Amino acid sequence: MTYNSSDNHESKWEKFFKWVNGEQALDSVWEKELKSKILGKRQKRHKSIEDVIDKINAQSKKIYIFFSIIITVTYIGILLYTAVLLPEHGNELNPTNNEVSQRYVENGVNDTGAVNAVSAMILEYRAFDTFGETVALFASIICVAILLKKDRSNLCPQEEREYIEDEKILNADGNGILKFTSRLIFPIVILYGVYVILNGHISPGGGFSGGAIIGAGLILYSAAYGDKNLKHIVNYNSFSKVVCGCLLVYFFSKGYSFFTGGNHIKSIIPKGTPGNILSGGLILPLNICVGAVVACTIYGFYSYFTKGDI
Amino acid sequence: MTLRTVISAILLLMGMFIFLTSVIGLLRFKNVLDRIHAAALGDTMGIFLTVLGLIVISNSFYQAVKLALVVVFIWLTSPVTTHLIGKIELLTAGKNYTNRRNIK
Repeated sequence: MTYNSSDNHESKWEKFFKWVNGEQALDSVWEKELKSKILGKRQKRHKSIEDVIDKINAQSKKIYIFFSIIITVTYIGILLYTAVLLPEHGNELNPTNNEVSQRYVENGVNDTGAVNAVSAMILEYRAFDTFGETVALFASIICVAILLKKDRSNLCPQEEREYIEDEKILNADGNGILKFTSRLIFPIVILYGVYVILNGHISPGGGFSGGAIIGAGLILYSAAYGDKNLKHIVNYNSFSKVVCGCLLVYFFSKGYSFFTGGNHIKSIIPKGTPGNILSGGLILPLNICVGAVVACTIYGFYSYFTKGDI
Repeated sequence: MTLRTVISAILLLMGMFIFLTSVIGLLRFKNVLDRIHAAALGDTMGIFLTVLGLIVISNSFYQAVKLALVVVFIWLTSPVTTHLIGKIELLTAGKNYTNRRNIK
């Protein structure tokens, strides 16, 4: 696996084959061979190639400004016209004050057993929407993993040097203040995140906000102590198991009414008395699932963008 | 207009004034270390006066305790970030910023 090594005896097909396999970076081929050939030819043909490019740039810039002004003014006009047609704010005859919102407010506690009406809405009445949002988060972390995941055994020399230097910086006892403060704060942050998730059906909060708090706590710990100390809890294996397991639990607890029909408000778990922790039927386990997915996603973003691996 | 409202209004206005000076300093100063100094102004005295004003008009005891915990949390975390920014500035001052490999 050697980079920047181009023997002159290779045929074009062999070079292409190597390039497809990722053994020879395209940049090196470009730098060494093609650039001088192509640019040399061009400079012979057009002696003042930069003048031509400048001319084209100036023309296209004028067209760009012209069309951008036209498009912006058109959109501003459309939006202002729509804003004029909107109903007056605070009027009780507005179309948003219909029987649906009235039902949520009046029968929400009886139907679902959750005191927090927002939780009742997003996890009981409209559980499919929330499932879609969670799947969107899952899809985004998969895209980031596809684009940014590094193969540790197949790094180019510069990346390998950076990796070794990062390890050195992390292992040095330089940031004692950060370590001490994060040791104080990390348990409180995680505890608060768990509180927000578990109280999602009683007080404002829920899976999304609590998961974000837990993810931020994991990022703090990882920034202070390095990912090696976190590796036995949060690694690729546990990450994928938690995310996929939570999504499957969500799907099987809410998804089957997609086939059986009905509004799916009757849950398997009894509702309990509204206001207790163990109430609200399926809302509490679904909040836990959403929180786990969100926490894993946020920590995964940080981890992929900084280190290229979980 | 009770006395409590007046006191809290005065405290909130003082906090807002300190935040204003902090923001002006953050925008006007040119060096990183100067800007750290300006930003720390709002994180220490500004947040203290603002939250003190909110504590004065808070209704219950628990609300006041929660607000005080906010101040404790910010006073714990803000110096650490300031310290880290200052340390990185000290390590990288005068060096080529675009190449992060110069940090030692």
